[in-house]
Order: sequence, then structure tokens, then C-alpha cells
Amino acid sequence: MSGITVNELYKTYKGSAEPTLKGLTFQFEKGKIAGLLGPNGAGKTTTISILCGIVKSDTGDVFIHGLKQDAAHREAIKRLIGIVPQQIALYPQLSAVENLTYFGNLYGFKGKALQQKIMHYLELFGLEASAHKEIYKYSGGMKRRANIIAAILHDPQLLVLDEPTAGVDVQSRSMILQFLRDYNRQGASILYTSHLLEEAQSLCEEVVIMDAGKMIVHGHPLTLIREHAACNNLEDVFLHFTGHAVRD
Amino acid sequence: MLRLLATIRKEWQLLLRDKTGLILLFVMPVVLITVMALIQDAPFKDYQDIKFDILTVDNDHGRLGRYIREGLESGGQFNIIDSLEGKPITAERARQLVNEGKYKISIIVPEGATAAIVSNANHIVNDITKRMGMSASLPVKRQADSLNVIIYFDPAAKKAFKGAIHQALDNFLTQVETDMLLGRIKQQLKSKDSVANATDTLPIRLQAVGLQEHSTGTGKQLDVISNSVQHNVPAWSIFAMFFIVIPIAGNMIREREDGSLLRMKLIPGSYLAILAGKMLFFVGICVLQFYLMMLVGIYVMPLLDLPTLQMGQHHGATLLVATGIGLAATAYGILVGTIFKTPNQALNFGAISIVILSAIGGIWIPLEVMPAKMQLLGHLSPLSWGLDAINDIYLRNGDIDYVWKNVVKLILTGLAMLAVAGWMEKRRLN
Repeated sequence: MSGITVNELYKTYKGSAEPTLKGLTFQFEKGKIAGLLGPNGAGKTTTISILCGIVKSDTGDVFIHGLKQDAAHREAIKRLIGIVPQQIALYPQLSAVENLTYFGNLYGFKGKALQQKIMHYLELFGLEASAHKEIYKYSGGMKRRANIIAAILHDPQLLVLDEPTAGVDVQSRSMILQFLRDYNRQGASILYTSHLLEEAQSLCEEVVIMDAGKMIVHGHPLTLIREHAACNNLEDVFLHFTGHAVRD
Repeated sequence: MLRLLATIRKEWQLLLRDKTGLILLFVMPVVLITVMALIQDAPFKDYQDIKFDILTVDNDHGRLGRYIREGLESGGQFNIIDSLEGKPITAERARQLVNEGKYKISIIVPEGATAAIVSNANHIVNDITKRMGMSASLPVKRQADSLNVIIYFDPAAKKAFKGAIHQALDNFLTQVETDMLLGRIKQQLKSKDSVANATDTLPIRLQAVGLQEHSTGTGKQLDVISNSVQHNVPAWSIFAMFFIVIPIAGNMIREREDGSLLRMKLIPGSYLAILAGKMLFFVGICVLQFYLMMLVGIYVMPLLDLPTLQMGQHHGATLLVATGIGLAATAYGILVGTIFKTPNQALNFGAISIVILSAIGGIWIPLEVMPAKMQLLGHLSPLSWGLDAINDIYLRNGDIDYVWKNVVKLILTGLAMLAVAGWMEKRRLN
């Protein structure tokens, strides 16, 4: 079954002459770890925003676990998805427990059950000792881990992560990647964007490389490497399709 | 309900951690209203409440000089000074001292002023008695003197102040002349009428119709006058309540920048419940600010020798107005936070726009003293609606019937601002 289906997506922002998405089409299987890769300005964030229902496409369709992303299914899809934005979307002046309690309450969870869940995840991510410390006092890696917990409190079936390991130390990165593998093993689909192609190669079962609002290539990382004789790794494949010119 | 309560608790936790925000919201407004009430105390006081030193040079040494002196002293408004360093003041010295700004006023009563008034009264009485067929016997100067009581004002004195002094002195002069004239008429009649001569009870009363001030209010009228505290405490409280725009706009922009707004919008359920929680919290803060400042007006101002704030008798109406002002201020904060991209832009625009809205809305000086066009503009300011409503309750003892129109205007404006903010947010995403 398809986890995510993106069909002929077009999107032009108001005031922009050039479309951001130009007929983007791809499909990811349910229950897999998928990577959405592309250089700056390729349209990854817009694609994720449309998948989540934050931004509307001009034309085209999106299906999440078989549900069409439209007004009728928006709430049901929100329950399916957990988003880990690139920014640390937590209140810096509040502690991890206060932040997670607030977001848990917004999902409708409360009381002992919520507190137990929060403590379970804080332990899982090695944050139990800093549970009551304000987020601004956390290191970069600790913030990233707390950011992930806020997205999984409602046990989403699809976890979307935008650069989840950007700027974190090796230990934190290892912990985050291990968590993603474990979470995937429990049956959840994972969609992940990153500029760290070595990491994507080791983690993802499927990748889509997109550029200029279109899909360039789609497949398993190792298959893509094998199919292109001159490429030794996913980064070579990426550069092969997107070129060496610097993107701003 | 859980979303709403959770948002209120989260905002409360955020506010408690933000010491600067707490100072901005609660300490600064208290300092502001106290300072404004203190510095505007003197201009708000009636001239009767302020004692001025007045240099008097009495070159007449007659009844007019005495009348003017007694009249000025009896009002309790002036300290009469007729000598400095043990020497009588001359007209030239008085002019010089006033010109230097050391004194506000000087009055020079010219030599022969009383004699001129007496002569004039005699002339009138002689004329009347002649017309009545009797003989005129009172002494009259051959040539009428053209004399003036001279007043010197400090060049910096205000027009209204000058007018009030002119009016008072004019009254004294008229009173002296009238008294003398009546005295002469009585004297002349006594000499012709034996009965009057015997009893001396000739009743002459010039003022048949008097002047009496009544209050305008219906119901139980308050004895409240507009003073510095009565104007400044509510006015600057409203101004301070609108400054909540700055923390709200900053809060909105930060949530948008750090992605927590996105996170909230991705959570199932209406974002309106979260927004309502945020609004309820900040409206509550505004109302808390308002009552804190009213308490300062009631309990702290008297400690500073200022009058006590009178809050009227309709406390329900006051709460309604404070809530309406809080709603409009909070909605304005959300609008500013939606329009601007950075906290700095929002801070600058928010602060300057509130200063402008307060200036045209009668917070600094009452709308009534502004030019007609500015008054029209001022009536469009939500701060003016709030102040009008508070004045209706505090000064006119008004109830909800008096204030509901202004409260509705505040609420509708708040809702309109929220609608615009919602439309702009949607537009931004696409």
C-alpha cells in the first residue's frame, strides 16, 4: 500500500514569477523510511507543507495512507502525521516537561497518562535528567531530541522530519537515527529530508531526488548507486543529477 | 476546552519566566500614571487652588486701592506684596520684576483714582437730582481725569490666566464705582427725606437675579471634579493597556519564526481554540493592569498629596469597559504580530502607533481643546472610546446604558482586526 502519493503537483506562490513545483510526482510505500532530497530551492519544504495541509497546491493531488489531502480529510491526516520542523519548535523559556505537556494537551491528552508518556520518551532520548530545565539551557542535540518528542506524543503513523540532525553532535545524531529505525520497525512510515547524503544513504529505503520543482530520480539508494557506474555513493548520484553549481 | 485552558496556562508560565515583560506590563504603567498625575497636577488645578504672588503699587492711598487689596486677599488666590526688603515697591520696579519673570502680575493703582471715581459718582448723582428738580450740591472736578489701573503680566503668562485676572479686577472696579454711586444716592436722598434720615434703612439691592450651579447628573450625583488624578489615571491606564501590543506581537512573531505556530496548526482541532486561549489570557492581563492602576489611583496617589481617584458607582460597567479595551488592545497586538515579520519592526510600529492613537484620542490632552478636524479624527481612536466610557462612569456616574455604544465599538474593532489578521496569515502561507 502507498504511504504517500504525490500526483502532478503545481504550486506558484503569490508574487513569484517562477513556479516552485512543476508537476511533481512520486510515491513512497507505507511503512518505509523515505528520503526527500534536493538542493536548496528544489521545493522540498513546499512539498512537505502541502503534504501536511499547511499550504494548498494550485493543482495536483496528495494522498497520505490512502486519504486524499483535502478539507474533508485534513483533520484525519493531521492525526496520522507527526512533523519535526527544522526549527526547534518549542518555547525556550519553558522546560521540556512544560512544553510537552502543552503540546500533549493540544492533542487532547492529559493527566497521568500524558505525564507517563512524556517521561517515557524523555528517558528514551536521554533527557530525563534535564526534564525540568528550560529549553534555552539545552545543547543543540538535546533541543533536537526534545523537538522530536513533541512530534510523536500522539503516536503518528507517518513521521515527517525536516533536517532532524542538522548541527547536532555525533552521539545525538546516532541516538536520533536509531530512534527512527526503531520507530519504523513498529510500523510507522518516515519521510525525511536532509543535506547529509551519507546519513540518508544508510537510513533510507527509498529516496526521491528533486530539483527545480520536479522529481529527477526515485529508487533505493543502493540501486541508484549501482545504476550509475560513475557513482560510488548517494552524494555522487545527487551531484550527477543536480550538478555542481552552487545553489543559494 | 482543554486546548483553551492549556494555552492560558502556557501563556501564564511564559509570562512568569519573562521578568522584563512583567515589568513592562505592571511596573512601568504604575510609574507612568504616577509621574503623569504628578506633573499634570498643577495645570489641572483651578486657579483658585493656586496662590500667586502679586505686586501691588498703591499710589492712590484711597478707597479703590483698599478695595482692590481686600478683594484680592479675600479670594485666597493671591499673596499681596507691596514692599520688598522693607521698601515700598515703585511702579518701575514692579514692571521690571514682572518682565524678568520673578513675579507673574503687578497692579499699579494710579494717584487720584478714588478721587476720580468719587467725582464721577457725584457728577451722576448731581445730574439725577437736577432732573428730579432738586438742587445739585455734591463737589465735582471740572475736568474728568482719564485714569487707568495698570496691570503688568509676565510675558509667559497664558491668555486664559490674563483673562481671568482682567475679569477679577474689572469686577473690583465696577464694585467700587457702584458702591460709591449708591452711597452718594443714599446720601443725597437722606438729606431730602426726613424718614429715611431717621431710620437709614433705604433698601437698595442691585442683584435681583443670582447665579447658582447645579449638577447635571440624573440619579445619585457624584461630587467629582476633573483633576489630574481623575484624568491621568484612567487615560494613561488605557494607554498602558494598549502597550500589551508589544509582548503579544513579539509572542506571535516568535511562534511563527521558531515553528511552534506551525506545530500548533498541524495538531488536529481548531486553531481558534488556541487563539481564544491566548486572547483570554491577554485580555485578563489587561483587566488586571487596569485594576492595579485604579488601586494606585485610590491608595497611592493620596500619599503623594494628589486627590483620590473616584471610580463611580457602576463597577459592572467599569469591568465591561476594561474588558472591551483589553479585547481591542489584544486584537491589535495579534494584528501587528501578523503583519510584521520581525519583533523589531513590530516593536517600533506598535509603540509609535499607540503614541499617535493616544495623542489623537485625548489621552494627552482632552479632545475638547483640540482643533475641530483633530477632534473628528480623535473620535476614531479606540483609546478615545475607552476614555469616553470611563469618564462617563467616573465623572457622570453613568451605568451600562451610558457606555454600551463605546464598548460595542471596541469589541467590533477587535473582531475586525482579528479577521484582518486571519486573512493576512492565510495570504502569507500561500
